[in-house]
Amino acid sequence: MLKRLLTLAVAGGTLMLATADAGAQTYKIGGSLGLTGYAATNDRAWRDGMQIAADYINAKGGVLGKKVELFIEDNRSEPQEAVVGYRKMMSNDNVQIFDSGCVSAGNFAAAGAVTRASIPMMLCSILPQRPEEQKWAFSVLPPPRFEIETRYRYLKEKTQIRKVGIIHDPTPYANMMKDLGVKIAADFGIEVTVVESYKPDDADMSIQINRIKSSGAGAIIKMGQGGSTVTAAKNIKQLGLDDILLMASLDDGAVFKQAGEALGERFIYVAPGVQIPDAVPAGPAKDAMEQFLKLWREKYGDRDANAGTRAWDSMMLIFTAVEKAKSFEGPAVRDALESISNYQGAFTTFNFSADQHMGITQNPFMIGVVRNGQMVAVK
Amino acid sequence: MTSPNITSTDSMRHVVIPVAAVLAVLGIALSSSGYVVTLIGFAAIYGVFCTGLNFFMGYTGQASFGQNAFAALGGYGSAILTANYYWDPVLALLVSMVLSGVIAAAVGYPTLRLRGHYLAMATFALGLITYEISIEWNSLTQGYMGLSGIPPLGIGKYELVSEKHQLVVLTLVMLVGVWVSVRLRDSRFGRALRAIAGSEAAANALGINVARYKLAAFVVAAVYASVAGSLFAHFVGFISPEVFGASMVILSFTMLYLGGVGTTWGPIIGALIVSLLPEVLRGLKEMQDVVYSVVLIAILIFAPRGLSGLSVLFPRKQTGQTKQAEKNA
Repeated sequence: MLKRLLTLAVAGGTLMLATADAGAQTYKIGGSLGLTGYAATNDRAWRDGMQIAADYINAKGGVLGKKVELFIEDNRSEPQEAVVGYRKMMSNDNVQIFDSGCVSAGNFAAAGAVTRASIPMMLCSILPQRPEEQKWAFSVLPPPRFEIETRYRYLKEKTQIRKVGIIHDPTPYANMMKDLGVKIAADFGIEVTVVESYKPDDADMSIQINRIKSSGAGAIIKMGQGGSTVTAAKNIKQLGLDDILLMASLDDGAVFKQAGEALGERFIYVAPGVQIPDAVPAGPAKDAMEQFLKLWREKYGDRDANAGTRAWDSMMLIFTAVEKAKSFEGPAVRDALESISNYQGAFTTFNFSADQHMGITQNPFMIGVVRNGQMVAVK
Repeated sequence: MTSPNITSTDSMRHVVIPVAAVLAVLGIALSSSGYVVTLIGFAAIYGVFCTGLNFFMGYTGQASFGQNAFAALGGYGSAILTANYYWDPVLALLVSMVLSGVIAAAVGYPTLRLRGHYLAMATFALGLITYEISIEWNSLTQGYMGLSGIPPLGIGKYELVSEKHQLVVLTLVMLVGVWVSVRLRDSRFGRALRAIAGSEAAANALGINVARYKLAAFVVAAVYASVAGSLFAHFVGFISPEVFGASMVILSFTMLYLGGVGTTWGPIIGALIVSLLPEVLRGLKEMQDVVYSVVLIAILIFAPRGLSGLSVLFPRKQTGQTKQAEKNA
């Protein structure tokens, strides 16, 4: 028994050494993703977008002559798992940069250790709170105000509705959006009559919806992703509320289509061009988008490309920074990322600077509805 | 009742070998990568948590699904006092510990009048309520945004910045926790708890104030949970509600039953195995959870008293002293 264990240990050690040697020839990118748990829909698409980008760059010979190697760890949408995964990628896999998913708490929990190791992080989530951690983190998440402004502007310009109710989940992004939504409503001549909350796994939101309706609101501004949007749409239909709009956050196309089936064109959502490609005019933005969508569709057909597109962009931004820095070293790549501006991605244009680590600075959203089972833009 | 005679063989089996094993694991971790240090660090923290849970569930024979509430109190207490008010981590840990004990006494007084499933449900509700508060009380806990900037453990200006230094302290705290639990178990107080675990009615007939002893055991378990929560906060430097959610309850129960509920070292063995096993199986990707579950089920089938129960496979060497003791008995 002992002999077998020793043989196994020696074999394992040899394998690790061999892997480490081969790894030195590649550019190692780590990703802590919620492949299971609440973030799974988004982060699985994020992983697939990263893989397409890695395959694409490797087919072109890699970056600065090195092939890209991905190390993906499932954090189960839990901070503690994320810490373990990050530590594994840092000390065992020796990753040189992170490109991680939308589990904010997981990224925050690991940010201290990642910062101390001088490893840059590209994130799908919002940035960590501490300034020294923000210095090493970059986000490709649209700032919350763009989602709100797009919906308020639609109400102001296209409808007579001036009273709205907000319903939000307790996630950091939705909370930020809620606070901002209350703050800027008056700028659009809109009154927020009531703010309600729900849990992402709530099976019913009838009570909150009834309260919003009773407050005199003509539209429900929903802040939060996932199946709860479908639940809200079905609740509105079941309650027979024929004169209220449901306006949803950025989400996966599958969610939009299900909610649209329940409410028809009274279900309105914000969408980037990549979710409604036909609405994007010809030009550099369309070209960049189509370049990615071609690769995405070859592999995944008509699966929604929202998160996958941002993952692709995040990887392309990393490659651009490495080429700019002419180095794979963390501090050099970090500095180069800060110098990227007017980068035309498939999702939108990105602008980073020393003071601007949220790369999306122009509103990328349009308003969409579901018509005949298809996502279409509202003119 | 008298305390059991401790022979040199018993001392070897129950103290020297386990402590040597813990120190050996610590030695391996200290000579390994940061990844291993993190894993063993989490195992030590859960070791503290499960040792407390073992006190209430193993020694006293009660069910509590709500110990995560006290871990949350300890974690948030330490985080808020050190990150927002710049308290010394040790002082913050102690204050959080006392606060958790007081709250456990206040909550436990009415709750512990319940028995069996009803007690289990009540304690589960306690965990859920604390979890909801940690999400909703945004101004204090920052909800899902979490609290960051929590300093590492240290006293005064001396901070344990290195994870390896922190691991040494975590291991020492865990060993002290086990030592305290053993001392309590073998005291008059501990014997009363074991009598309650055997039969509440019989214990009552013997003159044991069942309600008071159950409450005391609950408070002790809460204090351990609070320490574990504080240690987590300082070790990671960040906490959010998910850390102290239902997964913590499930994980700690798995550790306790896998290691051996009611045994001294079972919770520590369980914490170590449950922390390391998923990482050993990490390479299996999508099959990881399936294999992990199969291994856990297999262990529970073939070692129903937990891994520490396997010590019966190594029969005690009969010394003249033990032979005589057995003869006298």
